Amino acid sequence: MFNLIVIIQSIVSGLLIGGIFALLGVGFSLTWGVMKVINIAHAAFGLLASYIAYWGLNLYGIDPILSLFLSLPLLFVTGLFIHRFLIQHITRSKDIIVASMILTFGLAIILENIMLLAWTPDERLITTSYSSKAIFLGDIIIRISNLLGFILSIIGISTIYLFLYHTKTGKAVRATWQDPEGAALQGVNLQKVSMIAFGLAIASSGAGGVALAYMYSFNPPSHNLWLIFLFLVVIVGGVGSIMGSAISGLLIGLITGLSNAFFPMQWINVLLFGLLMVILLIKPEGLFKK
Amino acid sequence: MIKGKAKFLLFFVILFLIILPLIKPPTYFLSLIFKIFLYIILSESWNLIGGFTGYLSFGHVAFFGIGVYTSAILMQNLGISPFIGALPAGILSSAVALIIGYPCLRLRGPYFAVVTLCFAFIVDLVVKNWNFLGGSEGIHLKLMEMDIQISRSIFYEIFLGLSILIVFFSRWIQNNKFGLGLAAIREDEDVAQTLCINTSDLKIKAFILSAFFPGIAGGIYAYYISYIHPDIVFDISISILIVLMALFGGGSSWSGPLIGAIILSIVNEILSLFIKPEFARIIYGGMFMIVIVFMPDGIVSFLKGERGK
Repeated sequence: MFNLIVIIQSIVSGLLIGGIFALLGVGFSLTWGVMKVINIAHAAFGLLASYIAYWGLNLYGIDPILSLFLSLPLLFVTGLFIHRFLIQHITRSKDIIVASMILTFGLAIILENIMLLAWTPDERLITTSYSSKAIFLGDIIIRISNLLGFILSIIGISTIYLFLYHTKTGKAVRATWQDPEGAALQGVNLQKVSMIAFGLAIASSGAGGVALAYMYSFNPPSHNLWLIFLFLVVIVGGVGSIMGSAISGLLIGLITGLSNAFFPMQWINVLLFGLLMVILLIKPEGLFKK
Repeated sequence: MIKGKAKFLLFFVILFLIILPLIKPPTYFLSLIFKIFLYIILSESWNLIGGFTGYLSFGHVAFFGIGVYTSAILMQNLGISPFIGALPAGILSSAVALIIGYPCLRLRGPYFAVVTLCFAFIVDLVVKNWNFLGGSEGIHLKLMEMDIQISRSIFYEIFLGLSILIVFFSRWIQNNKFGLGLAAIREDEDVAQTLCINTSDLKIKAFILSAFFPGIAGGIYAYYISYIHPDIVFDISISILIVLMALFGGGSSWSGPLIGAIILSIVNEILSLFIKPEFARIIYGGMFMIVIVFMPDGIVSFLKGERGK
Protein backbone atom coordinates (compact mmCIF):
# COMPACT_ATOMS: atom_id res chain seq x y z
CA MET A 1 0.00 0.00 0.00
CA PHE A 2 2.38 2.65 1.26
CA ASN A 3 5.08 1.92 -1.23
CA LEU A 4 7.60 4.39 -2.50
CA ILE A 5 6.38 4.49 -6.10
CA VAL A 6 2.91 5.59 -5.06
CA ILE A 7 4.33 8.30 -2.86
CA ILE A 8 6.72 9.62 -5.49
CA GLN A 9 3.99 9.45 -8.12
CA SER A 10 1.60 11.46 -5.98
CA ILE A 11 4.30 13.98 -5.15
CA VAL A 12 5.07 14.46 -8.84
CA SER A 13 1.46 14.84 -9.93
CA GLY A 14 0.75 17.00 -6.91
CA LEU A 15 3.55 19.39 -7.82
CA LEU A 16 2.36 19.56 -11.43
CA ILE A 17 -1.13 20.53 -10.27
CA GLY A 18 0.33 22.87 -7.69
CA GLY A 19 2.08 24.90 -10.37
CA ILE A 20 -1.29 25.53 -11.95
CA PHE A 21 -2.85 26.53 -8.64
CA ALA A 22 -0.02 29.00 -8.32
CA LEU A 23 -0.71 30.49 -11.75
CA LEU A 24 -4.39 30.84 -10.93
CA GLY A 25 -3.59 32.37 -7.55
CA VAL A 26 -0.98 34.88 -8.68
CA GLY A 27 -3.43 37.28 -10.28
CA PHE A 28 -5.87 36.91 -7.41
CA SER A 29 -3.11 37.78 -5.00
CA LEU A 30 -2.05 40.74 -7.14
CA THR A 31 -5.46 42.43 -7.20
CA TRP A 32 -5.97 41.76 -3.51
CA GLY A 33 -2.56 43.14 -2.61
CA VAL A 34 -2.30 46.10 -5.00
CA MET A 35 -5.80 47.51 -5.10
CA LYS A 36 -7.48 45.82 -2.13
CA VAL A 37 -9.94 44.13 -4.46
CA ILE A 38 -10.88 40.54 -3.75
CA ASN A 39 -12.05 39.30 -7.09
CA ILE A 40 -14.52 36.49 -6.38
CA ALA A 41 -15.04 36.20 -10.13
CA HIS A 42 -11.34 35.46 -10.72
CA ALA A 43 -11.83 31.71 -11.11
CA ALA A 44 -14.93 32.27 -13.21
CA PHE A 45 -12.83 34.20 -15.74
CA GLY A 46 -10.35 31.35 -15.75
CA LEU A 47 -13.19 28.96 -16.44
CA LEU A 48 -14.33 31.17 -19.30
CA ALA A 49 -10.92 30.70 -20.93
CA SER A 50 -11.25 26.94 -20.40
CA TYR A 51 -14.54 27.02 -22.28
CA ILE A 52 -13.07 29.12 -25.08
CA ALA A 53 -10.29 26.54 -25.37
CA TYR A 54 -12.88 23.75 -25.32
CA TRP A 55 -14.86 25.43 -28.06
CA GLY A 56 -11.82 26.17 -30.18
CA LEU A 57 -10.73 22.55 -29.92
CA ASN A 58 -14.07 20.91 -30.59
CA LEU A 59 -15.41 23.26 -33.25
CA TYR A 60 -12.29 24.26 -35.14
CA GLY A 61 -9.64 21.84 -33.96
CA ILE A 62 -7.49 24.63 -32.49
CA ASP A 63 -5.00 23.50 -29.87
CA PRO A 64 -5.89 24.82 -26.38
CA ILE A 65 -2.50 26.52 -26.10
CA LEU A 66 -3.14 28.41 -29.34
CA SER A 67 -6.58 29.46 -28.12
CA LEU A 68 -4.81 31.45 -25.43
CA PHE A 69 -3.74 33.92 -28.11
CA LEU A 70 -7.42 34.75 -28.48
CA SER A 71 -8.67 34.40 -24.92
CA LEU A 72 -5.88 36.19 -23.07
CA PRO A 73 -6.14 39.52 -24.95
CA LEU A 74 -9.91 39.20 -24.68
CA LEU A 75 -9.75 38.71 -20.92
CA PHE A 76 -7.20 41.50 -20.57
CA VAL A 77 -9.50 43.97 -22.31
CA THR A 78 -12.49 42.69 -20.30
CA GLY A 79 -10.47 43.29 -17.17
CA LEU A 80 -9.72 46.88 -18.21
CA PHE A 81 -13.42 47.52 -18.80
CA ILE A 82 -14.48 45.91 -15.53
CA HIS A 83 -12.00 48.02 -13.65
CA ARG A 84 -13.01 51.19 -15.44
CA PHE A 85 -16.77 50.78 -15.16
CA LEU A 86 -17.26 48.77 -11.96
CA ILE A 87 -14.27 48.67 -9.65
CA GLN A 88 -13.58 52.40 -9.91
CA HIS A 89 -17.06 53.11 -8.57
CA ILE A 90 -16.36 51.39 -5.29
CA THR A 91 -12.83 52.67 -4.65
CA ARG A 92 -14.31 55.48 -2.61
CA SER A 93 -16.45 53.24 -0.40
CA LYS A 94 -15.67 52.85 3.27
CA ASP A 95 -14.61 49.24 3.16
CA ILE A 96 -13.34 48.56 -0.34
CA ILE A 97 -12.40 44.92 0.27
CA VAL A 98 -15.88 43.91 1.37
CA ALA A 99 -17.54 46.07 -1.28
CA SER A 100 -15.39 44.47 -3.97
CA MET A 101 -16.24 41.00 -2.69
CA ILE A 102 -19.95 41.68 -3.04
CA LEU A 103 -19.53 43.35 -6.42
CA THR A 104 -17.50 40.51 -7.89
CA PHE A 105 -19.77 37.94 -6.26
CA GLY A 106 -22.50 39.37 -8.46
CA LEU A 107 -20.14 39.23 -11.43
CA ALA A 108 -19.31 35.59 -10.70
CA ILE A 109 -23.01 34.67 -10.56
CA ILE A 110 -23.58 36.39 -13.90
CA LEU A 111 -20.59 34.68 -15.54
CA GLU A 112 -21.55 31.27 -14.17
CA ASN A 113 -25.05 31.53 -15.53
CA ILE A 114 -23.92 32.84 -18.90
CA MET A 115 -21.65 29.80 -19.11
CA LEU A 116 -24.56 27.58 -18.07
CA LEU A 117 -26.63 29.02 -20.90
CA ALA A 118 -23.85 28.75 -23.45
CA TRP A 119 -22.38 25.36 -22.53
CA THR A 120 -25.00 23.59 -20.33
CA PRO A 121 -24.14 22.07 -16.92
CA ASP A 122 -22.54 18.96 -18.52
CA GLU A 123 -19.03 18.07 -17.43
CA ARG A 124 -16.53 18.93 -20.17
CA LEU A 125 -13.07 17.59 -20.72
CA ILE A 126 -10.37 18.86 -23.03
CA THR A 127 -9.16 15.87 -25.01
CA THR A 128 -6.33 16.55 -27.41
CA SER A 129 -4.37 14.15 -29.58
CA TYR A 130 -1.66 14.03 -26.89
CA SER A 131 -4.00 13.69 -23.90
CA SER A 132 -3.40 9.98 -23.56
CA LYS A 133 0.35 10.18 -24.07
CA ALA A 134 2.78 10.21 -21.19
CA ILE A 135 6.45 10.20 -20.34
CA PHE A 136 7.74 7.30 -18.27
CA LEU A 137 10.57 7.90 -15.85
CA GLY A 138 11.11 4.42 -14.51
CA ASP A 139 7.75 3.64 -12.88
CA ILE A 140 6.72 7.27 -12.57
CA ILE A 141 4.19 8.46 -15.12
CA ILE A 142 4.06 12.08 -16.25
CA ARG A 143 1.20 12.88 -18.56
CA ILE A 144 2.10 15.20 -21.43
CA SER A 145 -0.96 17.37 -20.83
CA ASN A 146 -0.09 17.83 -17.16
CA LEU A 147 3.45 18.72 -18.13
CA LEU A 148 2.18 21.27 -20.67
CA GLY A 149 -0.05 22.84 -18.04
CA PHE A 150 2.89 23.05 -15.67
CA ILE A 151 5.14 24.64 -18.28
CA LEU A 152 2.37 27.11 -19.04
CA SER A 153 2.26 28.04 -15.34
CA ILE A 154 5.99 28.59 -15.17
CA ILE A 155 5.83 30.84 -18.25
CA GLY A 156 2.83 32.70 -16.85
CA ILE A 157 4.29 33.31 -13.41
CA SER A 158 7.69 34.30 -14.83
CA THR A 159 6.00 36.76 -17.19
CA ILE A 160 4.17 38.41 -14.30
CA TYR A 161 7.35 38.44 -12.25
CA LEU A 162 9.36 40.01 -15.07
CA PHE A 163 6.62 42.53 -15.69
CA LEU A 164 6.51 43.58 -12.03
CA TYR A 165 10.25 43.80 -11.50
CA HIS A 166 11.68 44.82 -14.87
CA THR A 167 9.23 47.14 -16.59
CA LYS A 168 8.33 50.70 -15.77
CA THR A 169 4.61 49.98 -15.47
CA GLY A 170 5.35 46.98 -13.32
CA LYS A 171 7.47 49.04 -10.99
CA ALA A 172 4.64 51.56 -10.81
CA VAL A 173 2.28 48.73 -9.82
CA ARG A 174 4.62 47.72 -7.01
CA ALA A 175 5.02 51.30 -5.91
CA THR A 176 1.25 51.72 -5.78
CA TRP A 177 1.00 48.63 -3.65
CA GLN A 178 3.59 49.80 -1.13
CA ASP A 179 2.36 53.36 -0.82
CA PRO A 180 -0.43 54.65 -3.07
CA GLU A 181 -0.08 58.28 -2.03
CA GLY A 182 3.68 58.29 -2.37
CA ALA A 183 3.40 56.70 -5.79
CA ALA A 184 0.85 59.28 -6.88
CA LEU A 185 3.20 62.05 -5.75
CA GLN A 186 5.92 60.56 -7.95
CA GLY A 187 3.66 60.95 -10.96
CA VAL A 188 2.18 57.46 -11.09
CA ASN A 189 -1.29 57.46 -12.60
CA LEU A 190 -3.00 55.26 -10.00
CA GLN A 191 -6.16 54.57 -12.01
CA LYS A 192 -4.22 53.58 -15.11
CA VAL A 193 -1.78 51.39 -13.20
CA SER A 194 -4.56 49.60 -11.30
CA MET A 195 -6.45 49.11 -14.53
CA ILE A 196 -3.48 47.43 -16.19
CA ALA A 197 -2.78 45.30 -13.13
CA PHE A 198 -6.41 44.19 -13.03
CA GLY A 199 -6.44 43.31 -16.72
CA LEU A 200 -3.22 41.37 -16.31
CA ALA A 201 -4.58 39.49 -13.30
CA ILE A 202 -7.68 38.40 -15.17
CA ALA A 203 -5.62 37.38 -18.21
CA SER A 204 -3.39 35.26 -15.96
CA SER A 205 -6.47 33.51 -14.59
CA GLY A 206 -7.31 32.61 -18.19
CA ALA A 207 -3.96 30.88 -18.63
CA GLY A 208 -4.49 29.09 -15.32
CA GLY A 209 -7.98 28.06 -16.36
CA VAL A 210 -6.75 26.45 -19.57
CA ALA A 211 -3.91 24.71 -17.75
CA LEU A 212 -6.34 23.32 -15.17
CA ALA A 213 -8.78 22.24 -17.87
CA TYR A 214 -6.05 19.92 -19.17
CA MET A 215 -6.22 17.95 -15.93
CA TYR A 216 -9.73 18.08 -14.58
CA SER A 217 -13.14 17.96 -16.15
CA PHE A 218 -15.09 21.14 -15.56
CA ASN A 219 -18.60 22.54 -15.63
CA PRO A 220 -19.83 26.08 -14.95
CA PRO A 221 -20.12 25.73 -11.15
CA SER A 222 -16.54 24.38 -10.92
CA HIS A 223 -15.22 27.87 -10.39
CA ASN A 224 -16.57 27.81 -6.83
CA LEU A 225 -14.21 24.98 -5.94
CA TRP A 226 -11.36 26.67 -7.78
CA LEU A 227 -12.05 29.77 -5.72
CA ILE A 228 -11.40 27.87 -2.51
CA PHE A 229 -8.02 26.85 -3.93
CA LEU A 230 -7.35 30.49 -4.80
CA PHE A 231 -8.02 31.54 -1.24
CA LEU A 232 -5.81 28.73 0.00
CA VAL A 233 -2.95 29.74 -2.29
CA VAL A 234 -3.18 33.42 -1.44
CA ILE A 235 -3.71 33.04 2.28
CA VAL A 236 -0.96 30.48 2.69
CA GLY A 237 1.42 32.44 0.49
CA GLY A 238 0.64 35.86 1.90
CA VAL A 239 -1.51 38.45 0.14
CA GLY A 240 0.24 40.19 -2.73
CA SER A 241 3.35 38.05 -2.77
CA ILE A 242 4.24 36.53 -6.15
CA MET A 243 6.88 34.15 -4.85
CA GLY A 244 4.66 33.30 -1.89
CA SER A 245 1.86 32.34 -4.27
CA ALA A 246 4.22 30.20 -6.33
CA ILE A 247 5.54 28.33 -3.31
CA SER A 248 2.18 27.91 -1.62
CA GLY A 249 0.64 26.74 -4.89
CA LEU A 250 3.23 23.96 -5.10
CA LEU A 251 2.73 23.15 -1.42
CA ILE A 252 -1.03 22.87 -1.77
CA GLY A 253 -0.65 20.79 -4.90
CA LEU A 254 1.66 18.52 -2.92
CA ILE A 255 -0.88 18.17 -0.09
CA THR A 256 -3.66 17.50 -2.58
CA GLY A 257 -1.57 14.92 -4.40
CA LEU A 258 -0.56 13.09 -1.24
CA SER A 259 -4.02 13.17 0.27
CA ASN A 260 -5.38 11.82 -3.03
CA ALA A 261 -3.23 8.77 -2.48
CA PHE A 262 -4.07 8.16 1.16
CA PHE A 263 -7.53 9.58 1.87
CA PRO A 264 -10.94 8.59 0.61
CA MET A 265 -12.09 10.95 -2.14
CA GLN A 266 -14.98 12.55 -0.30
CA TRP A 267 -12.90 13.67 2.67
CA ILE A 268 -10.20 15.49 0.68
CA ASN A 269 -12.20 18.68 0.37
CA VAL A 270 -13.05 18.59 4.07
CA LEU A 271 -9.33 18.33 4.70
CA LEU A 272 -8.54 21.28 2.44
CA PHE A 273 -11.28 23.53 3.83
CA GLY A 274 -10.22 22.56 7.34
CA LEU A 275 -6.62 23.40 6.47
CA LEU A 276 -7.67 26.80 5.17
CA MET A 277 -9.66 27.49 8.34
CA VAL A 278 -6.77 26.47 10.56
CA ILE A 279 -4.26 28.61 8.64
CA LEU A 280 -6.62 31.56 8.73
CA LEU A 281 -7.05 31.21 12.46
CA ILE A 282 -3.40 30.69 13.27
CA LYS A 283 -1.55 32.83 10.77
CA PRO A 284 -3.89 34.94 8.59
CA GLU A 285 -1.00 36.99 7.21
CA GLY A 286 0.37 33.96 5.37
CA LEU A 287 3.15 31.49 6.03
CA PHE A 288 5.76 33.11 3.79
CA LYS A 289 5.21 36.77 4.50
CA LYS A 290 8.36 38.54 5.51
CA MET B 1 -39.96 55.41 17.09
CA ILE B 2 -43.22 54.37 15.56
CA LYS B 3 -45.76 57.18 15.48
CA GLY B 4 -49.48 56.87 16.24
CA LYS B 5 -50.73 56.49 12.68
CA ALA B 6 -48.01 54.04 11.69
CA LYS B 7 -48.67 52.03 14.83
CA PHE B 8 -52.32 51.76 13.86
CA LEU B 9 -51.40 50.64 10.34
CA LEU B 10 -48.89 48.13 11.65
CA PHE B 11 -51.51 46.68 14.00
CA PHE B 12 -53.89 46.11 11.09
CA VAL B 13 -51.22 44.57 8.85
CA ILE B 14 -50.30 42.10 11.57
CA LEU B 15 -53.95 41.36 12.35
CA PHE B 16 -54.61 40.79 8.65
CA LEU B 17 -51.64 38.42 8.39
CA ILE B 18 -52.86 36.50 11.45
CA ILE B 19 -56.39 35.94 10.18
CA LEU B 20 -55.31 35.40 6.57
CA PRO B 21 -55.37 31.55 6.76
CA LEU B 22 -58.97 31.65 8.00
CA ILE B 23 -60.24 33.00 4.69
CA LYS B 24 -58.62 29.98 3.02
CA PRO B 25 -56.33 31.49 0.38
CA PRO B 26 -54.81 29.13 -2.20
CA THR B 27 -52.12 26.89 -0.67
CA TYR B 28 -49.59 28.27 -3.13
CA PHE B 29 -50.16 31.77 -1.83
CA LEU B 30 -49.77 30.63 1.75
CA SER B 31 -46.52 28.84 0.89
CA LEU B 32 -45.19 31.95 -0.81
CA ILE B 33 -45.80 34.08 2.28
CA PHE B 34 -44.31 31.29 4.38
CA LYS B 35 -41.15 31.49 2.30
CA ILE B 36 -41.04 35.27 2.75
CA PHE B 37 -41.32 34.77 6.53
CA LEU B 38 -38.47 32.27 6.40
CA TYR B 39 -36.21 34.77 4.64
CA ILE B 40 -37.25 37.56 7.01
CA ILE B 41 -36.19 35.39 9.94
CA LEU B 42 -32.92 34.39 8.30
CA SER B 43 -31.84 37.79 7.07
CA GLU B 44 -32.94 39.64 10.20
CA SER B 45 -30.93 37.26 12.34
CA TRP B 46 -27.97 37.40 9.96
CA ASN B 47 -28.16 41.16 10.29
CA LEU B 48 -27.33 41.00 14.01
CA ILE B 49 -23.77 39.98 13.13
CA GLY B 50 -23.54 41.00 9.46
CA GLY B 51 -25.31 44.33 9.48
CA PHE B 52 -25.17 45.70 13.02
CA THR B 53 -21.67 44.46 13.74
CA GLY B 54 -20.27 44.54 10.20
CA TYR B 55 -18.93 40.97 10.22
CA LEU B 56 -20.00 39.49 6.90
CA SER B 57 -20.76 35.85 7.56
CA PHE B 58 -21.20 33.81 4.41
CA GLY B 59 -21.78 30.62 6.35
CA HIS B 60 -25.10 31.35 7.96
CA VAL B 61 -26.87 28.62 6.05
CA ALA B 62 -24.90 26.17 8.21
CA PHE B 63 -26.83 27.26 11.32
CA PHE B 64 -30.10 26.86 9.49
CA GLY B 65 -29.05 23.41 8.26
CA ILE B 66 -27.89 22.35 11.72
CA GLY B 67 -31.33 23.31 13.03
CA VAL B 68 -33.04 21.31 10.30
CA TYR B 69 -30.95 18.23 10.98
CA THR B 70 -31.24 18.42 14.77
CA SER B 71 -35.00 18.42 14.84
CA ALA B 72 -35.18 15.83 12.04
CA ILE B 73 -32.89 13.45 13.93
CA LEU B 74 -34.81 14.02 17.18
CA MET B 75 -38.06 13.18 15.45
CA GLN B 76 -36.77 10.18 13.56
CA ASN B 77 -34.91 8.55 16.44
CA LEU B 78 -36.79 9.70 19.54
CA GLY B 79 -40.16 10.67 18.11
CA ILE B 80 -39.97 14.22 19.44
CA SER B 81 -42.20 16.58 17.54
CA PRO B 82 -40.21 19.22 15.61
CA PHE B 83 -42.33 21.91 17.25
CA ILE B 84 -40.60 20.95 20.50
CA GLY B 85 -37.38 19.84 18.80
CA ALA B 86 -36.93 23.32 17.36
CA LEU B 87 -35.76 24.57 20.74
CA PRO B 88 -32.84 22.11 21.10
CA ALA B 89 -32.16 22.83 17.42
CA GLY B 90 -31.77 26.52 18.17
CA ILE B 91 -29.64 25.78 21.22
CA LEU B 92 -27.36 23.47 19.25
CA SER B 93 -26.95 26.10 16.53
CA SER B 94 -26.01 28.63 19.18
CA ALA B 95 -23.57 26.20 20.76
CA VAL B 96 -21.89 25.62 17.40
CA ALA B 97 -21.80 29.39 16.91
CA LEU B 98 -20.05 29.74 20.26
CA ILE B 99 -17.42 27.16 19.36
CA ILE B 100 -16.88 28.50 15.84
CA GLY B 101 -17.29 32.16 16.73
CA TYR B 102 -14.75 32.20 19.50
CA PRO B 103 -11.70 31.72 17.25
CA CYS B 104 -13.22 33.09 14.02
CA LEU B 105 -14.41 36.43 15.32
CA ARG B 106 -10.82 37.47 15.88
CA LEU B 107 -10.55 37.67 12.11
CA ARG B 108 -11.84 40.74 10.33
CA GLY B 109 -13.26 41.70 6.96
CA PRO B 110 -12.55 39.26 4.14
CA TYR B 111 -10.81 36.76 6.42
CA PHE B 112 -13.95 36.35 8.50
CA ALA B 113 -16.05 36.00 5.33
CA VAL B 114 -13.77 33.28 3.97
CA VAL B 115 -13.54 31.37 7.22
CA THR B 116 -17.33 31.29 7.61
CA LEU B 117 -17.68 30.19 4.01
CA CYS B 118 -15.27 27.33 4.68
CA PHE B 119 -17.21 26.42 7.80
CA ALA B 120 -20.44 26.12 5.80
CA PHE B 121 -18.72 23.95 3.18
CA ILE B 122 -17.25 21.69 5.85
CA VAL B 123 -20.56 21.19 7.66
CA ASP B 124 -22.22 20.38 4.35
CA LEU B 125 -19.56 17.84 3.38
CA VAL B 126 -19.50 16.22 6.82
CA VAL B 127 -23.28 15.78 6.87
CA LYS B 128 -23.18 14.35 3.35
CA ASN B 129 -20.63 11.73 4.35
CA TRP B 130 -22.03 10.82 7.75
CA ASN B 131 -24.37 7.86 7.51
CA PHE B 132 -26.03 8.48 10.88
CA LEU B 133 -27.42 11.71 9.40
CA GLY B 134 -28.75 9.95 6.33
CA GLY B 135 -25.63 10.78 4.27
CA SER B 136 -26.29 11.86 0.73
CA GLU B 137 -29.59 9.96 0.66
CA GLY B 138 -31.23 12.39 3.04
CA ILE B 139 -33.92 11.80 5.66
CA HIS B 140 -37.61 11.22 5.15
CA LEU B 141 -39.86 12.45 7.94
CA LYS B 142 -43.48 11.42 8.48
CA LEU B 143 -45.89 14.05 7.28
CA MET B 144 -48.33 15.66 9.67
CA GLU B 145 -51.56 13.65 9.63
CA MET B 146 -53.69 16.58 8.72
CA ASP B 147 -55.31 18.30 5.82
CA ILE B 148 -52.63 20.14 3.83
CA GLN B 149 -54.44 23.47 4.11
CA ILE B 150 -54.56 23.20 7.92
CA SER B 151 -50.98 22.03 8.32
CA ARG B 152 -49.74 24.80 6.02
CA SER B 153 -51.72 27.29 8.10
CA ILE B 154 -50.08 26.06 11.28
CA PHE B 155 -46.59 26.47 9.81
CA TYR B 156 -47.62 29.86 8.47
CA GLU B 157 -48.76 31.08 11.89
CA ILE B 158 -45.61 29.84 13.63
CA PHE B 159 -43.33 31.52 11.13
CA LEU B 160 -45.41 34.68 11.29
CA GLY B 161 -44.95 34.71 15.06
CA LEU B 162 -41.20 34.09 14.72
CA SER B 163 -40.84 36.85 12.11
CA ILE B 164 -42.65 39.38 14.29
CA LEU B 165 -40.56 38.30 17.25
CA ILE B 166 -37.24 38.66 15.43
CA VAL B 167 -38.15 41.99 13.83
CA PHE B 168 -39.14 43.51 17.18
CA PHE B 169 -36.19 41.88 18.88
CA SER B 170 -33.84 43.34 16.29
CA ARG B 171 -35.44 46.78 16.65
CA TRP B 172 -35.09 46.55 20.42
CA ILE B 173 -31.43 45.56 20.12
CA GLN B 174 -30.64 48.36 17.71
CA ASN B 175 -31.76 50.98 20.19
CA ASN B 176 -30.31 49.60 23.40
CA LYS B 177 -26.80 49.66 24.77
CA PHE B 178 -25.90 46.29 23.27
CA GLY B 179 -26.86 47.47 19.78
CA LEU B 180 -24.96 50.71 20.16
CA GLY B 181 -21.90 48.71 21.15
CA LEU B 182 -22.28 46.62 18.01
CA ALA B 183 -22.60 49.78 15.91
CA ALA B 184 -19.41 51.08 17.48
CA ILE B 185 -17.64 47.88 16.42
CA ARG B 186 -18.97 48.29 12.90
CA GLU B 187 -17.82 51.87 12.60
CA ASP B 188 -14.37 51.41 14.12
CA GLU B 189 -13.49 48.40 16.21
CA ASP B 190 -10.15 49.71 17.45
CA VAL B 191 -11.64 52.95 18.68
CA ALA B 192 -14.48 51.01 20.30
CA GLN B 193 -11.91 48.97 22.17
CA THR B 194 -10.14 52.04 23.47
CA LEU B 195 -13.49 53.30 24.76
CA CYS B 196 -13.66 50.29 27.09
CA ILE B 197 -16.21 48.44 24.97
CA ASN B 198 -15.62 44.72 25.41
CA THR B 199 -15.72 44.04 21.69
CA SER B 200 -14.99 40.34 21.70
CA ASP B 201 -17.73 39.75 24.26
CA LEU B 202 -20.30 41.74 22.27
CA LYS B 203 -19.31 40.07 19.00
CA ILE B 204 -19.67 36.54 20.33
CA LYS B 205 -23.04 37.39 21.87
CA ALA B 206 -24.27 38.83 18.58
CA PHE B 207 -22.98 35.79 16.71
CA ILE B 208 -24.70 33.37 19.09
CA LEU B 209 -27.99 35.25 18.87
CA SER B 210 -27.77 35.39 15.10
CA ALA B 211 -27.33 31.61 15.00
CA PHE B 212 -30.17 30.87 17.43
CA PHE B 213 -33.09 32.02 15.28
CA PRO B 214 -31.99 30.25 12.07
CA GLY B 215 -31.65 27.11 14.19
CA ILE B 216 -35.22 27.39 15.45
CA ALA B 217 -36.58 28.26 12.02
CA GLY B 218 -34.64 25.33 10.55
CA GLY B 219 -36.03 23.00 13.19
CA ILE B 220 -39.57 23.80 12.15
CA TYR B 221 -38.72 23.97 8.48
CA ALA B 222 -37.56 20.32 8.69
CA TYR B 223 -41.15 19.28 9.44
CA TYR B 224 -42.44 21.55 6.69
CA ILE B 225 -40.37 20.08 3.87
CA SER B 226 -40.32 16.56 5.42
CA TYR B 227 -37.61 15.41 2.99
CA ILE B 228 -34.22 16.59 4.15
CA HIS B 229 -31.14 16.55 1.99
CA PRO B 230 -27.80 18.36 2.48
CA ASP B 231 -28.06 19.90 -0.99
CA ILE B 232 -31.32 21.59 0.00
CA VAL B 233 -30.68 22.76 3.54
CA PHE B 234 -26.94 23.50 3.24
CA ASP B 235 -27.21 25.17 -0.15
CA ILE B 236 -24.60 27.93 -0.11
CA SER B 237 -26.79 30.11 -2.31
CA ILE B 238 -29.17 30.46 0.66
CA SER B 239 -26.28 32.07 2.54
CA ILE B 240 -25.64 34.41 -0.34
CA LEU B 241 -29.31 35.25 -0.68
CA ILE B 242 -29.57 36.14 3.00
CA VAL B 243 -26.59 38.48 2.70
CA LEU B 244 -27.99 40.05 -0.45
CA MET B 245 -31.40 40.62 1.13
CA ALA B 246 -29.98 42.30 4.20
CA LEU B 247 -27.58 44.48 2.19
CA PHE B 248 -30.23 45.29 -0.38
CA GLY B 249 -32.49 46.67 2.32
CA GLY B 250 -29.61 48.18 4.28
CA GLY B 251 -27.78 46.36 7.01
CA SER B 252 -27.38 49.07 9.59
CA SER B 253 -31.05 49.16 10.55
CA TRP B 254 -33.67 46.58 11.58
CA SER B 255 -35.97 47.66 8.74
CA GLY B 256 -33.40 46.91 6.00
CA PRO B 257 -33.44 43.10 6.06
CA LEU B 258 -37.22 43.10 6.51
CA ILE B 259 -37.78 45.16 3.37
CA GLY B 260 -34.96 43.43 1.49
CA ALA B 261 -36.36 39.98 2.27
CA ILE B 262 -39.89 40.93 1.21
CA ILE B 263 -38.85 42.61 -2.03
CA LEU B 264 -36.27 40.04 -3.12
CA SER B 265 -38.45 37.02 -2.23
CA ILE B 266 -41.26 38.40 -4.37
CA VAL B 267 -38.88 39.34 -7.19
CA ASN B 268 -37.35 35.87 -6.99
CA GLU B 269 -40.77 34.22 -7.18
CA ILE B 270 -41.88 36.32 -10.14
CA LEU B 271 -38.60 35.78 -11.98
CA SER B 272 -38.63 32.02 -11.45
CA LEU B 273 -42.23 31.85 -12.69
CA PHE B 274 -41.65 33.63 -15.95
CA ILE B 275 -38.09 33.17 -17.11
CA LYS B 276 -35.40 30.52 -17.15
CA PRO B 277 -33.58 30.12 -13.82
CA GLU B 278 -30.27 31.05 -15.46
CA PHE B 279 -31.64 34.40 -16.60
CA ALA B 280 -33.20 34.91 -13.18
CA ARG B 281 -29.81 34.37 -11.55
CA ILE B 282 -28.11 36.71 -14.02
CA ILE B 283 -30.56 39.40 -12.95
CA TYR B 284 -29.81 38.52 -9.34
CA GLY B 285 -26.09 38.90 -9.90
CA GLY B 286 -26.75 42.23 -11.58
CA MET B 287 -28.73 43.35 -8.54
CA PHE B 288 -25.74 42.57 -6.31
CA MET B 289 -23.65 44.90 -8.43
CA ILE B 290 -26.25 47.65 -8.64
CA VAL B 291 -26.76 47.58 -4.89
CA ILE B 292 -23.09 47.93 -4.09
CA VAL B 293 -22.36 50.56 -6.75
CA PHE B 294 -25.40 52.79 -6.46
CA MET B 295 -26.79 52.24 -2.98
CA PRO B 296 -24.02 50.96 -0.72
CA ASP B 297 -26.17 51.72 2.34
CA GLY B 298 -29.19 49.82 1.06
CA ILE B 299 -32.49 50.75 -0.47
CA VAL B 300 -34.03 52.11 2.73
CA SER B 301 -31.49 54.89 3.23
CA PHE B 302 -31.31 55.37 -0.56
CA LEU B 303 -35.03 56.20 -0.64
CA LYS B 304 -34.82 58.30 2.51
CA GLY B 305 -31.90 60.25 1.06
CA GLU B 306 -33.84 60.89 -2.14
CA ARG B 307 -36.78 62.26 -0.19
CA GLY B 308 -34.54 64.43 1.93
CA LYS B 309 -33.10 66.28 -1.08
